[in-house]
Amino acid sequence: MGVDPAIKAEIEEFLLHEAELLDERRFEEWIDLFAEDARYEAPMRVTKARDAGPDIVEESKIFSDNRETLHIRVQRLGTEFAWAEDPPSRTRHFVTNIRVQPGDRENEYRVRCNLLVYRNRGDTPDYDLLSADRQDILRRVDGGWKIAYRRIVLDQSTVGSHNLSIFL
Amino acid sequence: MQVLKGRRQPSPETRAMLESMLDMVPQGRVPVRIFNDPEIFELEQERVFGRCWVFLAHESEIPSPGDYVLRYIANNSIIVVRDEEGKVRAHLNMCRHRGNQVCKAEMGNASHFRCSYHGWTYKNTGELIGVPYWNEVYHRRLDKAEWALVPVRVETYNGLIFGNLDPEAPSLEEYLGGFQWYLDFYLKPGPNGTEVYGTPDKWVADTDWKICAENFAGDGYHTPVAHAFGFELGYFPSSARTHFEGVAVHIPGKGHAIGLGRTPGMPPFFGFPPEVVEAMHQTLTPEQVQVFSQVRTAVCTVFPNLSILLQPFSRIPGQPGVRFVTMRLWHPIGPGRIQMWSWCIVPKDAPQWYKDESYLAYTLAFGAAGMFEQDDFENWTNLTRQVKSTLARDLVFPYEMGLDLEPDPSFPGPGVAVPPYVHETNFRNMWATWARYMLRD
Repeated sequence: MGVDPAIKAEIEEFLLHEAELLDERRFEEWIDLFAEDARYEAPMRVTKARDAGPDIVEESKIFSDNRETLHIRVQRLGTEFAWAEDPPSRTRHFVTNIRVQPGDRENEYRVRCNLLVYRNRGDTPDYDLLSADRQDILRRVDGGWKIAYRRIVLDQSTVGSHNLSIFL
Repeated sequence: MQVLKGRRQPSPETRAMLESMLDMVPQGRVPVRIFNDPEIFELEQERVFGRCWVFLAHESEIPSPGDYVLRYIANNSIIVVRDEEGKVRAHLNMCRHRGNQVCKAEMGNASHFRCSYHGWTYKNTGELIGVPYWNEVYHRRLDKAEWALVPVRVETYNGLIFGNLDPEAPSLEEYLGGFQWYLDFYLKPGPNGTEVYGTPDKWVADTDWKICAENFAGDGYHTPVAHAFGFELGYFPSSARTHFEGVAVHIPGKGHAIGLGRTPGMPPFFGFPPEVVEAMHQTLTPEQVQVFSQVRTAVCTVFPNLSILLQPFSRIPGQPGVRFVTMRLWHPIGPGRIQMWSWCIVPKDAPQWYKDESYLAYTLAFGAAGMFEQDDFENWTNLTRQVKSTLARDLVFPYEMGLDLEPDPSFPGPGVAVPPYVHETNFRNMWATWARYMLRD
């Protein structure tokens, strides 16, 4: 059973709008896209032998946030003291390979995408490229959409950036 | 077996700089150049990382026979494994035949390691037990006993496994030189010690390891500015001024140092659950209890590059919060560049809710996306780039803070304890120690 193409189109538009908010640093609007009970997690990847089981350590999280802690992160960026983002990073979120499946509840959908985030700071041309698998649960709320759950798994076991002061 | 013996010699200019540090540093001056220089990096690989006890892993990361993790000392890839008898061993991750990696996973369980090139097979003790066609092509001539994986000396202190590339280096106990007394606060929160929560955060940054090691050797000075957002958002119960109270301790000549910050009026062992507090009273001495019960922030460096931080933290400002403990290894991978390793350790006997909360506090504050960690790495990467410039290289940094302070003779812990929490005595000792390692041929 597939998903109504109209729903899929809305969801794609939602994800692209979300990426735009992040790249334009409209973080207070970005937080509003999250449901009150949202969770935002990024478990770690490790390198294991091919037959040694999953290469993700669920217990270990690069991000293990709820809406409240995400909002605190955003509030921090709004103070004068978030040195890591002053001057701000330039980011570009590339959201592709969007796949939508019905969720466990009637108004929820499982949305999987590929994420590539480009990040550059300052006056050098050096940049970080962070690739990740992203699995969301999006919830239909009052004709719009909210992120109820986000799971990000980076495609590196050693993260290729000096910090993660940006959102994925 | 060939061992590192300071094969690489400092250039005359560098030797002169290092020698000048022996006088300069105790008087409060450190050359800027040491913080980002290719020659310094190469010398450190042998003279510091080739001789010191360097942190490899926590015992709880390899709990069962056959468990292994892949770690590093200098640029050596090292298999840290628990053998079938339960003994911790470390081997250079290099096939003795033609140099291939015999272990390619970062973690796992193996009784043997087999090279994928010519099939040489080693027990996890390092012993070479399989050479394909030993009869037919070697005609039994190769003596397998001669070609075991290169062993790396390991010793353990309360769960921390250290390795040393120098077979003639003193024991870990002698190397720590009394610093164990302070490590106990982190490592002995109960009869069964600590365990690692999950697997370490790892990332790379263009910062020199020494900047980070110094910061964690008791740089309370930076907290009100670098982490000003923490005061702004209400994370810290203390004000910037009361934040400076406490004491800084170092072990002379060893480089290890700790800052013990206190907040006046803090309830004893604030942030630990009662079960852990009670357990600490069993495992720590009365003197240790007296000192540590009043400590809000315990931040230290075990020379050269293992640091540990313990402090209370509430994810939501204003709520009681919990203590978390993070160990970090500032692993040098190039001049002015590190691979960062960051663990969260928790008391093994603590209730699960506390371990979970502690980990959540750790990761929000000091994980790869940690709010405090972000600003530290912003500063450190920027400064590492600046100190490499041609004008900067001939300068010195002031390390005068606390030059006139007196040690507290009544302090019960070993080493030299100088109140308050914030000054640079620890760092002067660290860089003088470093200079002596660098000068030793």
